[in-house]
Amino acid sequence: MSAVKDRLSVTAYPLWLASPLALAMLLFFIAPLLMLGVISFYSDAAMTQWGSGANWSKMFDSFGFMVLGDTLWLGVQVTILSLILGFGLAWVFVRLPAKIQPFVIFIVMLPLLTSVVVRTFAWIVILGKQGIVNNMLMDLGWIEAPLKLLYTRTGLVIALANVQLPLMVLPLITALQRIDLNLSDASASLGASEWQTFKKITIPLSLPGIIAGCLLTFSAAITAFISQSLIGGGQMLFMPMYLYQQVSALSNFPFAAAISLTFLATVVLCVSVFNLLGRLSRGYAV
Amino acid sequence: MISRRQLLQASLTLGAMQLFPGMSQAQAKRLVFATFTGSWEEAHKAVLVPAFRKSTNNAEIILDPMLSVDQIAKVTAARNNPPIDVMLHDPGPALTAIDQGLVENYPVATSKNYKDLITEAQEETGPAIFFQVVGLTYNPEKIKTPPTSWKDLWSPEYKGRAGITNLNSTLGTGFLVEIAKMNGGSESNIEPGFKALNDLKPNLAAVAANPGALATLFQQGQVDISPGNFNAIQILKARGVPVEFVIPKEGAIAFKTTIHIVKNTQNKELAVALIEAAMTPEVQTKLMQSPYLVVPTNSKVQMEGEISKVLAKDQEEMKKRFVFQDWKKINEQRAQWIERFNREIKL
Repeated sequence: MSAVKDRLSVTAYPLWLASPLALAMLLFFIAPLLMLGVISFYSDAAMTQWGSGANWSKMFDSFGFMVLGDTLWLGVQVTILSLILGFGLAWVFVRLPAKIQPFVIFIVMLPLLTSVVVRTFAWIVILGKQGIVNNMLMDLGWIEAPLKLLYTRTGLVIALANVQLPLMVLPLITALQRIDLNLSDASASLGASEWQTFKKITIPLSLPGIIAGCLLTFSAAITAFISQSLIGGGQMLFMPMYLYQQVSALSNFPFAAAISLTFLATVVLCVSVFNLLGRLSRGYAV
Repeated sequence: MISRRQLLQASLTLGAMQLFPGMSQAQAKRLVFATFTGSWEEAHKAVLVPAFRKSTNNAEIILDPMLSVDQIAKVTAARNNPPIDVMLHDPGPALTAIDQGLVENYPVATSKNYKDLITEAQEETGPAIFFQVVGLTYNPEKIKTPPTSWKDLWSPEYKGRAGITNLNSTLGTGFLVEIAKMNGGSESNIEPGFKALNDLKPNLAAVAANPGALATLFQQGQVDISPGNFNAIQILKARGVPVEFVIPKEGAIAFKTTIHIVKNTQNKELAVALIEAAMTPEVQTKLMQSPYLVVPTNSKVQMEGEISKVLAKDQEEMKKRFVFQDWKKINEQRAQWIERFNREIKL
């Protein structure tokens, strides 16, 4: 009996070890979150009348829904582009000679070591009317007048995909490295075409990496306030800007609280869906 | 029912001030002045702080530059023991701070310099220590004949070359009011302004998220003409960016930047000393000179240099060329305007 008890105490997780962190979370995360919830029910910016759902019905009117939907759609666009670019890069990476790999990893990591603001400004220089892209196309004689790339949706998606690329590539590399290269040889020797091998071997086995990469890229892209506002411009409205506007220009904290809680809940929901997919994919891959 | 005050006090009790009473005592000795970030902080550090020190026998002061909204949030969260003693605000946030009871009236009766401020700068809730001026900005390398009127922005010549900001900024909101006025509207009738904005769409190369972002677009050749803040443009010009600032014939949009004593400050005497120093002709003259080019509000300051050349040669001319807007009316409707801008101005 006592032997069982001893074994239990060795393997059981002493929960109290987590209590400092739990306390910190409670004080600095859960409590403010609850306060946000309470604040969101004030009906006026000066916070004098409590107990109205006005902010919530405003958040979920057709316009609010459109902003939320558009933000998520932006995330999907960026994620797809990053996935295409990132998968190619990761696929090449695992086939490179081991000597070159550290250099490539360094280059892939480089954007992570630079501040987001600097990267974003670099994209302003690249996409501007007198930027690298336009100057090159004009020098080549392909276009007469500079194209409008900055302050467009396309420009924003490209820039965000670049800024978030390391978040996609690193999990993909990890996943692809774990795939035994002999598997594709085996598949080829059994008569499968390259495409069949890719579809039936590589993709399923790298699925956990794909899902982890998509999750990181998606949540980083939809919350990237600086890149969205500097490259997309002030006429594009995504959730972070919608929130910022209420706080900075109008000091309307109640409505801002409703926006932020909605956005938080949406992101949590997306993350849970991705996680569920991840669990399913691991079942599939093993 | 929970009142706002109770709610915010709850956060206060959680705050460090209560947990570490020693910290708040140490803070009470030095004055905390929340100025604006960037060039404003540099100017205040170089000119205002030394003047304040001299007048107070080397009292301690900290500049804690932050946006107006952060100033308001921080003071609201700790009304009884505010972490800031003196606030600096654009007209919109200033009214919010006053409405929410965060500021104390300035003791104008005993003030030495207050009466010397030009009438537009005399505000009992907190005097204006400088003006911000919005006029037309253009790239002289691309636009050979300088624009003369706000109307020039609509000229077909500038198709796809003009820039504005959205209404998050004082500049963007002030511009909307100005073009409404130009087309027969006013602070209480914004309709003509929105109509004019819609007509401007073919010319718009960019709707920037903030005035800083708008200014950098000149550097990239993305925009060639836009409404612009005099001081922001001077900074760009000093860095070699081809930009010029002109006052349109309708007049420049002028904003009062007001300085306020925070209610319940434990440093009231020092706060008054700082504001007094900021109003003196000596400090304002120094701030007016290059490289700061801060527009003075004290009528005893002799205009000189770039300011007298571009803006106004004296206070008389300044009153004629500056247009002050009714921010009380603007603030009441700003939320609706922003909402409308969100829905209507899509490129």
